[in-house]
Amino acid sequence: MTFLEETPHPDYALPDVDDPVMRPFWDGARDGRLMQQRDRTTGEVHWPPKPMYWKGGDRLEWFEARGTGEIYSYVVAYEPHLPAFKHLLPLILVLVQLDEGPRLVGYMINCTPEQMRFGMKVRVAFKRLGERVTLPLWEPA
Amino acid sequence: MVRRIEDLTLDDSLFRRIRDRVAIVGIGHLPFAKDIGRPISDTAVEAIQLALDDAGLEAEDVDGMCMFEMERTHEVSIARRLGVRNLRWWSKISYGGGASAATIMQAAAAIATGLADTVVCHRARNRGARTSAPWMNEREISIDDKALHSPWGLIRPVDVIGMWAHRHMHEYGTTREHLGNVAIAARKHANNNPYAMMRERKLDMETYRRGRMIGYPLNLYDCCLETDGALACVVTSIERARDLRQKPALVHSVAQASGPNPVHLANYNNTPKMETTSVFCAQQLWRRSQIQPADIDCAQIYDAFTPLVILGLEDYGFCKRGEGGPFTEGGRLELGGALPTLTSGGGLSEAYVHGFNLIIEAVRQIRGTSFNQVPECRTVLVTGASGVATSAAVLRGE
Repeated sequence: MTFLEETPHPDYALPDVDDPVMRPFWDGARDGRLMQQRDRTTGEVHWPPKPMYWKGGDRLEWFEARGTGEIYSYVVAYEPHLPAFKHLLPLILVLVQLDEGPRLVGYMINCTPEQMRFGMKVRVAFKRLGERVTLPLWEPA
Repeated sequence: MVRRIEDLTLDDSLFRRIRDRVAIVGIGHLPFAKDIGRPISDTAVEAIQLALDDAGLEAEDVDGMCMFEMERTHEVSIARRLGVRNLRWWSKISYGGGASAATIMQAAAAIATGLADTVVCHRARNRGARTSAPWMNEREISIDDKALHSPWGLIRPVDVIGMWAHRHMHEYGTTREHLGNVAIAARKHANNNPYAMMRERKLDMETYRRGRMIGYPLNLYDCCLETDGALACVVTSIERARDLRQKPALVHSVAQASGPNPVHLANYNNTPKMETTSVFCAQQLWRRSQIQPADIDCAQIYDAFTPLVILGLEDYGFCKRGEGGPFTEGGRLELGGALPTLTSGGGLSEAYVHGFNLIIEAVRQIRGTSFNQVPECRTVLVTGASGVATSAAVLRGE
């Protein structure tokens, strides 16, 4: 599994990893695991995740997703962009449909815009951005 | 052609208190500019004053106020500067361009229930300067909905909408030329509108094709303008409207909707086919309406980006899913076409003011005073931004 490391730009809009609803997702990413939430009786996967106090919250559980999916849509971002992302341009922003169903926002690594195809199989990678934040990213499977 | 809505019955019980019982009686706006040189706390007041003058009403007649929550103006400050004696109803609506028609809906609801007699709705926004883009200020910790997309750099609205656009192109064969047809129709209309920022600038398909790529598949001409503007309208009861100087634009139907499992911007997990919020708004709108898509003479479909118009044509039932691209062919969206759309030039070519100019233009069309007047225009659809929690309205002449 690809695991990159980068010092984030001081103005990088890093995620709030302490959000009580999202915390298991960010905790998992730090350990190199793509976490998702499901209803343990119906198997329905919730994205974005539900709060545990939600009606039916007693049936919710977090699990490690397979970390594979396919490209549902994508865009290629050129200038102008924020200072935190300029070094990544052209940035291939993707909407990945996980094998488990949900569509997650991310960006591609180890891939050029010319290689991109709808339905292309991708697998999760990770990028560490300092002590607390690790982002799940995507690369061709 | 028109999507039938058989499963929807007319929602008469409550809505007949609003339908055709409330009207837009005054409109006004300041000249649009790249740099208007004044704060919105000031321009908002003048725009409202212009709308009241247009209606033949005084500040003392106003008792309600409705506005946008994003880059806010303040009710009591406006009331003081304008000379409103006693404000007794007000509301602020979120989600940027999703709020446009909702100002009319909420004003109409207040008037229909007797909470207010005469409501002024407005949008004042200084977005002409490049650095005033909200996305450019996303430099801090992203919380709640933003944490679902900003950390990956999906921050610019052009990229957020590009996801829908590109999927639509893949799934239905929508082409860049279809998007170009939207941009060109809006530009042709703007070329006849003395207020339009792009009144002097022509656009043809060749120029469109050569546009600088911003977020593939969308280029510069797929994006709206960046404008300073201030616009307002006056809403009151039909009884009062009949005593005023302007031909009233009746509020026939209005709706707001978020759709299921909504996310503010990266709203990509709402339905299996990733529809926009407009699908749900349209259901409400037409259920409350005796006028249906086939009866609409002219459409003002929210156009922060060209694909939103193509999606809107489908979502609001002017054509089937996937046929929005071909619908733009043969000048169908232009004056003289089957469905003249964005007849002021819209956000793409008149001014980008979160869609409030689309409301003003809809009223002009009903009055018969548009710079691109649709002959005998009796019904107009106005919509808010697809994607975000949105709104829409059907206006008609008496």
